[in-house]
Amino acid sequence: MNFPLLSIIRNGIATQKQAFPNLPDEAEGLPGFSKTDCNPGECGKCAALCPAKAISCDQNEVKIDRGLCIGCSICFKSCPSGVIINDRSTTTAVFKREDLIISNKTPVITPAKPLKMPFRKSLHVREVSTGDNITDFEAVAASNPVFDMARYGIQVTASPRFADALLVTGPVGKAMQEPLRRCREAMAEPAIVIAAGTSAISGGLFAGGYAEANGVDSILPVSCYIPGDPPHPWSIIYGILLAMGRISKAD
Amino acid sequence: MENNSGIFTRIQETPENLKTVAKKKLNQPGWRFGHITARVTEAGSFVVETLLLNTREGKGLVIESLLPENNPEYPSLTPDIPAAHRAERALGDFFGITAKDHPHWHTLILSSDAWEPDLTPLSPTCRGKREPFLFTNVTGEGVHEIPVGPIHAGIIEPGHFRFSCAGEIITHMDIRLGYQHRGVEKRLTEINWQNTRFTAESNSSDTAAGNALAHSIAIEQIADINPPERAQYLRTISLELERLANHIGDMGALSGDIGFSAGAALFSQNRGYVLGMAQLLTGKRTQRYYIKPGGVSRDADSSTLKKLAENCIILKKTMKEHIPLVLENSAVIERMENTGILSQRMAKDFGIVGPAGRASGSGYDARTVFPHGVFPEYAPAPAFYKTGDVLSRAKVKADEIFSSIEIIEKIIANIPAGEYELKNLPSNLRPESYGIGITEAWRGELIHWITTDSKGKISRYSIKDPSFNNWTGLGIAVRGNLVADFPLCNKSFNLSYSGSDL
Ligand code: SF4
Ligand code: SF4
Repeated sequence: MNFPLLSIIRNGIATQKQAFPNLPDEAEGLPGFSKTDCNPGECGKCAALCPAKAISCDQNEVKIDRGLCIGCSICFKSCPSGVIINDRSTTTAVFKREDLIISNKTPVITPAKPLKMPFRKSLHVREVSTGDNITDFEAVAASNPVFDMARYGIQVTASPRFADALLVTGPVGKAMQEPLRRCREAMAEPAIVIAAGTSAISGGLFAGGYAEANGVDSILPVSCYIPGDPPHPWSIIYGILLAMGRISKAD
Repeated sequence: MENNSGIFTRIQETPENLKTVAKKKLNQPGWRFGHITARVTEAGSFVVETLLLNTREGKGLVIESLLPENNPEYPSLTPDIPAAHRAERALGDFFGITAKDHPHWHTLILSSDAWEPDLTPLSPTCRGKREPFLFTNVTGEGVHEIPVGPIHAGIIEPGHFRFSCAGEIITHMDIRLGYQHRGVEKRLTEINWQNTRFTAESNSSDTAAGNALAHSIAIEQIADINPPERAQYLRTISLELERLANHIGDMGALSGDIGFSAGAALFSQNRGYVLGMAQLLTGKRTQRYYIKPGGVSRDADSSTLKKLAENCIILKKTMKEHIPLVLENSAVIERMENTGILSQRMAKDFGIVGPAGRASGSGYDARTVFPHGVFPEYAPAPAFYKTGDVLSRAKVKADEIFSSIEIIEKIIANIPAGEYELKNLPSNLRPESYGIGITEAWRGELIHWITTDSKGKISRYSIKDPSFNNWTGLGIAVRGNLVADFPLCNKSFNLSYSGSDL
């Protein structure tokens, strides 16, 4: 006999209680800075090794652009003095593109001050996949019973007509630019666009090619950027809540 | 052109003879069509290359045909070998090569709806004559069209489907892809080889392990290196975890499309469990950048392996309880049985691979013949069903869930000690060589085919994603079905759009 209900009851409650936990110890997150003392003029190893050209070093400053970073972990595995570290936090989304650039001069990342947004309690999101299925994969996971973004009032809608926000996940090559524009036009105002994942933020590894896949903000104004390739489901939920104005600095 | 793997032989044929030679080979038992692609020589002429695979002995044959300079044209293989029909159209799009007498010679990906009319990105000069995408016009009493996409209602990739229906029954479906074309193959020839692995994985990044493994094998063939034994074991765990996570996810997605929410909820959680195992092994739920030429990017200590083995036991128990909830549930079977049938004949003709092929009687699983990771030594007996309906595809996935768990357990029990990567990789690849990496990714046979020029630079990188041919299978399977059953058929194939669009 077949008793799905029994399995469900036995399974218990799956939903994680703590919001935005750090990733577990074994996980590799984004690069972050632990301290300031490094001599990039002499070393410069991280910039030479980064496959995404996300790191730039001058005489005394190292800068990492998380909007270009593909999360390969090479920099923090090979930094000889432990300046770059594995940042396992999931509260990485920001409002402005330039806030994704972090520097060893200011090691701590602080989320920018929330904008006054008309959405507070709930947000209807239309996901538009534009070329990177791995971020879609994590966006699907964000609505599963474990992360359960519905409990924060975030619903995925079937059409842009009902949506308050577009969650765009890919680099937006030429063939997807017009559909994306039209999708945005179909939405009622006020509405926002969220870029999730490195490809959506900057085009990532595809930027600058003949397909003109250079990221969402070359097509539409973006209100919130979620770094990571792909971002963790918690990072995605954090980014959406940030865009809704439900994360204050104190959180 | 050199390859020292002992798997591939290479012959030259005139374009006129190509078709006859290929067909003769394919009539022999065990041979199947692999891929057809082209490259531009340093002198600027076009060469069409056809890959045929022997699935009994694990061998491959590359047929190289130099096209005449003034007229890059060759007789199409498609009339005799239907499996080549999409790949040949891609040659037209990307190189401006003409496959003469192709029965449907129209643009596949770079239609003029979005792209410059003369764009042929992989050819040195623009030589295309792009046209808008051509849809089939079905006529008859009461026939109407339903266009869907590119942006769909769920969280899935973009693609346009156009159904021609008689009432509620689908008589024909056109599939227009290419919305996610990002220029992957071109980009892979623009960067130095050490960095290509990152882009090669992004071909279809939900198949990170499968792509990275195929890429690594191709590079290792060209660089003449062999990764350490331990790395091969770790790579295989990664590949099988990816298969597990996605097959389990598919069971949930199929339940969801039927409206069986209990299954959808349970399996999405189980999938998360496997992603946790993947994170333990590789540092990432999605396993990105773990497998690389020469080995893997981090070792697994004994406590990690022990934990994974324990997880396997728990997972097996959960699966034994949860899979029957779906596959022995009369309400679910009712929807899946005899829905979306892909006949054995069609599956064979169109070169359908992976679970979809095995559900339609193909019996081909690259793990049993082509070396990758610890395969073929640890290969499971291929899942095998004949009906070709949604239920068979679901059963193949269920069988493979159990066989993958077993493989992982066996590997953990037998993994040798040693290095997990080669420390010093050559800085240059061997010139004038080619490498072909074939893996059984979770969607099926995946091919990465790399060619180097006289300086050892990658001059051509061709990828055949398992979805590339399987899209045709979906198009055939939905005929005669209710429009309402389309999502279910689509999920049972669960194809990659970005892997086909490149
Ligand atoms: S951050 Fe590390 S690798 Fe980069 S320059 Fe400083 S010490 Fe060198
Ligand atoms: S983790 Fe990011 S910043 Fe660091 S090397 Fe990799 S891509 Fe560059």
